[in-house]
Amino acid sequence: MELINIFLKSAFIENLALSYFLGMCSFLAVSKSVKTASGLGLAVIFVLGITIPINWLIDHYLLSENGLFGMDLTFLRFILFIAVIASMVQLVEMVVEKVSPALYSALGIFLPLITVNCAILGGSLFMISKELNFSESLVFGLGGGFGWFLAIVAIAAIREKIRYSNVPAPLRGLGIAFIITGFMGMAFMALMGIDPAALVGK
Amino acid sequence: MADSKTNAKLDLKPVFFGKKEKKLLLDPLNDNNPITVQVLGICSALAVTTLTTKALTMAVAVTLVVGFSNLITSLLRKLIPSEVRMIAQLIIIATLVTVVSLTLQAVNYPMYKELSVFIGLIITNCIVMGRLEAFAMANDPWRSFLDGIGNGLGYGVILLIIAALRELLGKGAIFGFKLFGPGPDFLVDTQAISMLHWYTPNNLMVLFPSAMFVLAVIIWLHRTWNSKLVDVS
Amino acid sequence: MQKYRYTVLFVLILSATSALILAGMYTGLKDIHEKNAQLFKKRVILKAISPLLDKPVSSLSDDDVEKIFQEKIQQVVLDMEGNPVDAARVAAAGYKKGDALSVDMAKEFKKPEAERLLPLYVYKKGDKKYYITGVMGRGLWDLIWGYIALEEDKNTIAGVAFEHAGETPGLGAEIKDNPSFGQQFVGKKIHDAQGKYHSITVRKGGAKDPNFEVDAISGATLTSDGVTEMLQRSMKYYDPYFQKVK
Repeated sequence: MELINIFLKSAFIENLALSYFLGMCSFLAVSKSVKTASGLGLAVIFVLGITIPINWLIDHYLLSENGLFGMDLTFLRFILFIAVIASMVQLVEMVVEKVSPALYSALGIFLPLITVNCAILGGSLFMISKELNFSESLVFGLGGGFGWFLAIVAIAAIREKIRYSNVPAPLRGLGIAFIITGFMGMAFMALMGIDPAALVGK
Repeated sequence: MADSKTNAKLDLKPVFFGKKEKKLLLDPLNDNNPITVQVLGICSALAVTTLTTKALTMAVAVTLVVGFSNLITSLLRKLIPSEVRMIAQLIIIATLVTVVSLTLQAVNYPMYKELSVFIGLIITNCIVMGRLEAFAMANDPWRSFLDGIGNGLGYGVILLIIAALRELLGKGAIFGFKLFGPGPDFLVDTQAISMLHWYTPNNLMVLFPSAMFVLAVIIWLHRTWNSKLVDVS
Repeated sequence: MQKYRYTVLFVLILSATSALILAGMYTGLKDIHEKNAQLFKKRVILKAISPLLDKPVSSLSDDDVEKIFQEKIQQVVLDMEGNPVDAARVAAAGYKKGDALSVDMAKEFKKPEAERLLPLYVYKKGDKKYYITGVMGRGLWDLIWGYIALEEDKNTIAGVAFEHAGETPGLGAEIKDNPSFGQQFVGKKIHDAQGKYHSITVRKGGAKDPNFEVDAISGATLTSDGVTEMLQRSMKYYDPYFQKVK
């Protein structure tokens, strides 16, 4: 199915974090422990899975020339998309606070910072440039979120272990995290060009 | 609290461009560099540093956005209700970025197509929000503007360094000007110099992960030179 | 309640001001944007015949580009049966201006094959004619397209220009960024002496047949394969028309 194809592509082959290096700020800042990393990753899946389809609807039914206003209002895209993202993140914040106060305090400021996580807005902008339809954009959002989740949990696991290694002082922390991310990016490049449709035997 | 604020106001008011103002502009270039120290604005730093021209355009765009959003937010800071602080800031930023995008589309269309998605991603560039929260919400417009420009320049410098390295090592060119490589269209034609016959540009530099490595090396050098920045956690 | 009203009012006024400023800029700059987009497209088309021009495309001024298009290029839109279609029919397909430049190849690519419209640019240099065809296909990440200029014999390639929507810089993107890739096509014929159609194959590991193959880009196998498929399929679309013009 075309949709499974898109899910696999956005999760692995076109990974938002490791192929496009989006969402790096929180990626590097929150990946010091696997627990907080997975919490943030799950929140990202949720936010991407919801904001991308909503933004698709807004773009298609309000901003395009065939939409409600009959005019090309695409210059309002940035403002509306970020507003949707901000509201959704606010929602997620409230839910997390209720469901898991421990996670809420562990994530601290990084939960509201999902709003300015480039991967979220980037996901919506990619959805526009790839000209996906509604169901495709939903799958793209979930897949992209899942891929980002995998990436941040993976690097958190590596960083937890590397604290016990002898990293040169100036490279400690940020520097080594960049190098690890670079290698992970290179590893993911090996997935480039895999056509999931061919794998599934079409 | 009010006391020190009024004192601070009296202190800074008569000075237009004194020591403190200079610090605002220069600090982000070294001690408080947005990318290497504050760990902000990294996302776009990677995709746009494949060519120095792209990096330069991006640096100018970000500097303008941070500077002016700092300015506008500072002007409005007493009027913004605290519940909608983030939304108000986002509206200001998004509007400025749209202005920059529309301007670029008119002034340099090919560059607009090259940068595509990444112009819009300036909105989520942590530097912009970061400076609004950390500075513009509590300081006067002129100084907020300087702080914004300073941080934009700090970001721009790092971006240009990464792009210059990637383009030089990856394509043998800088700002599109072919400098060093195999072939007659390069200023220094390595094929013509028998000692350098083997040289081919390192294509890895043009691929995304290389930006990560270059950045790591820059941080390594920066922190070795400026040892107070070393991570002691 | 007072504070609540103020909050709402504030956000409304702020959003309205932003929307107005942006709407103003957008409407004001719209014409310039369109002109830029058109010029951009024209430059890519001219890149396909850059060996034939007096100066390289990058040093041509905007006015030069416009002049060449006005004086030396005839725009034709074809249907898949090889019949030229008139401006009204093109406009009916959604392209208001009705000329070949306005035809969005990406949009046509999404239509079923039989319904597509094909842009064709006929370039006159002195007493010679060159046919610039538009080709479209899929690369590794996204769409790729290009313009192939054929000499009057509709067989020899005079020049090529490739573009991509999102191929990897340094790898797939080299089809556009690296001039030596396109240079390989110049002078090659797409039919053999018996008139059989071969197109040009982009071969991984180096061209084996010097007549109908070129070297692929190392590390960009899928983009290169995409180019092969694109050329094979798209150039054939123009055959019905070329038969008629013989």
